[in-house]
Amino acid sequence: MKYALFLGCTAPTKARNYELSTRRVAEAIGIELIDLPEFECCGFPVKSVHYESFILIAARNLIAAEDAGLNICVLCSACAGTLVEVSRYLASNDKARQKVLSKLGKEDGKYGFAQNIKVKHLIRILHEDLGSEKISSKIKRKLSGITVAPHYGCHYLKPSDIYDNYDDSENPHSLDELIEITAAKSIDYLEKEHCCGAGVLAINEDIALSIAQKKLDSVKVSGADAIVLMCPFCGAMYDENQKRIGTKFQTSYNLPVLYYPQLLGLALGINRKLLGFNLNKVKADSLLERIETKSMQNEQCKFSS
Amino acid sequence: MSCILVVDDEPVVLDGCEATLTKTGYEVETTLNAEEALDKIEAGRYDAIVTDLKLPGLSGIQLLKIVKDKEPETDIIMITGYATVQTAVEAMKLGAFDYISKPFTPDELRSVVDRAIERRRLLREERLRATKNRVAFEYNMPADLYYLPEHSWVKVVTENTVDIGIDDVFQKTIGVITDIKIPSKDTIIEQGNPCAEIYGAAGRVYKLLAPVNGQIAEVNELLKKDSSLLNSDPYGKGWIARIRTSDFAKELANLLSGDAMIRWWLRREIVERKTDRYVQISALNPNFKHEIAREPGGENIKVCFGCGICTATCPVREIDSKYNPRKIIRMALLGMKERILKSDFIWLCSTCYACTERCPQDVKFTNIVNAIKNIAVKEGYTHPVFTAQVDLLAKHGRLYEIDEFDNRRREKLGLPKLWTGEGSAAKIFETSGLLDILKK
Repeated sequence: MKYALFLGCTAPTKARNYELSTRRVAEAIGIELIDLPEFECCGFPVKSVHYESFILIAARNLIAAEDAGLNICVLCSACAGTLVEVSRYLASNDKARQKVLSKLGKEDGKYGFAQNIKVKHLIRILHEDLGSEKISSKIKRKLSGITVAPHYGCHYLKPSDIYDNYDDSENPHSLDELIEITAAKSIDYLEKEHCCGAGVLAINEDIALSIAQKKLDSVKVSGADAIVLMCPFCGAMYDENQKRIGTKFQTSYNLPVLYYPQLLGLALGINRKLLGFNLNKVKADSLLERIETKSMQNEQCKFSS
Repeated sequence: MSCILVVDDEPVVLDGCEATLTKTGYEVETTLNAEEALDKIEAGRYDAIVTDLKLPGLSGIQLLKIVKDKEPETDIIMITGYATVQTAVEAMKLGAFDYISKPFTPDELRSVVDRAIERRRLLREERLRATKNRVAFEYNMPADLYYLPEHSWVKVVTENTVDIGIDDVFQKTIGVITDIKIPSKDTIIEQGNPCAEIYGAAGRVYKLLAPVNGQIAEVNELLKKDSSLLNSDPYGKGWIARIRTSDFAKELANLLSGDAMIRWWLRREIVERKTDRYVQISALNPNFKHEIAREPGGENIKVCFGCGICTATCPVREIDSKYNPRKIIRMALLGMKERILKSDFIWLCSTCYACTERCPQDVKFTNIVNAIKNIAVKEGYTHPVFTAQVDLLAKHGRLYEIDEFDNRRREKLGLPKLWTGEGSAAKIFETSGLLDILKK
């Protein structure tokens, strides 16, 4: 199983723990990730200002993957949405495709975009392509006793029409299922499908932080040990800005924020440092110690029986 | 400090006014005629003007018309002799704030000027609130009454009897009313002359002008016991007196009917630059919706039937009502192009797609607002955050620059090095013409 790894702008600079854990987990479960030097920004930031530039930037990345003959694995949900949307648009619209290829100085007829390559978010690859059985067979340490709140974010499943109605945007389950492979408990909570607010952070910080606060409050009430997510933008809101949100709303959360590959990596028995836990802003030490203690107890039980 | 201009051809009146108003804490300037007053108004800005109706050369009424035309926000108080009360009532219809009859006491002058200044302060506050929170400051004038603007109202009871009361603009400029003195039954009242004394919280006395001529047939005894009814229910239980009218049909010419009063207020409010609360038909662009529909993503705007589920599900709207998807669509369909493109709210979409997922008409509001933003950029209204992002992409190919230092840190963590340098976005922006558009 081989994919071109699309990092986008945020993951390699602001969420290295996500990138690191993804690479380590991929190695452990047999996914080969290839770095293409042509990959740059996906184009999402310019969609609001100039649609043609948005299409051209996304198309250039898609062409690089098509030239390499690789499907794309994306870490950021907004990048995934952008690349899926544009690859489908250019595959189904001959006129637009010809225009884009001509502007990028590429030969028409050679590129089929969505007809030739698939673009998928890492979580969808794990859930759909790899599947629970394969992942379960690699689990070395059960994370039972740990309760986590899954955060799907927006672009992973929405707009649903570009994702062929994979999962259910209103009542999602794929991340819950992946969490439960690790034996951690995935819980339902108010605001589960709520946006993190990152999309408006640069424009209006008050609104963005208020949106994020609502979910943090709900997760706190739910009693979860951590939030588990899959997008570096969401990570920026809940991990990087958690302290600021607490200060602004005169509360304290101290809620660890884990990227799903970090959680899975723990269950695969990968060392916490290799999973980038030292880069998490909200320290997950006590949670990790609980996991390790529980794991040692299980080992002792096995040994004594 | 508020600045008052007093215009009167009698130096003794000017001196008296200046002394009274200066003691009250106002900055006062005086002049003997309307022509000089206009020069002063041209050169400076006054919070209120107190002017005699009868002046040599240009009259007080002419001065009123010119000032209201040039400086509509300036409040004008007319000074008049008893014989010209009707003219003063007419002046109020032309936009004068109030009038005082000669001879007047320092207290009478102070109370009317204070009310004008207080009204300006309330309007300023209201405007500020409207800008910040879009919360409207409402005046509640029933449409079925007749008004002496900003003073009193009349309600027809029978062919020759009417009820009179205080209108809520007058009431709001006084604040909390502590007492009212109403003449006794059978007293004769005259339109445009005081018919009641109202006491404010600081003990100041305000004179309420009668909206009609006639004889008091009945006084509201309940109001005499509980003057707070003037604040809480000025058009209902707070009525002041029942009047047997003498020639009501003739007096009606000096009053505004409810509908006309509302139009008069609307005109005043528009004049006072509260235009964002009203739709100006001439500023609408009926082609705007077609323009949006031609943009990628804007195709479905015309199928919206306004159910509002987009607004109900929007997480940004939940925090800040300034961003309201249904309102934006309705504004767009109505053709409010300029107001939408110039607004800051179109940039507040978090792109969560909740509206898009739940729309029964498949309008795809997230895409609609992107189409609108694309048009805004073409017309020169780009949010600075996006201009900065385009700059970064043009320089680095990513939103965040990666340099050798970052690569060393990456290697230390066990991550592969990433390319550094310009990237290809700059070339793409050149090809697409984005940089030229942003330079506009």
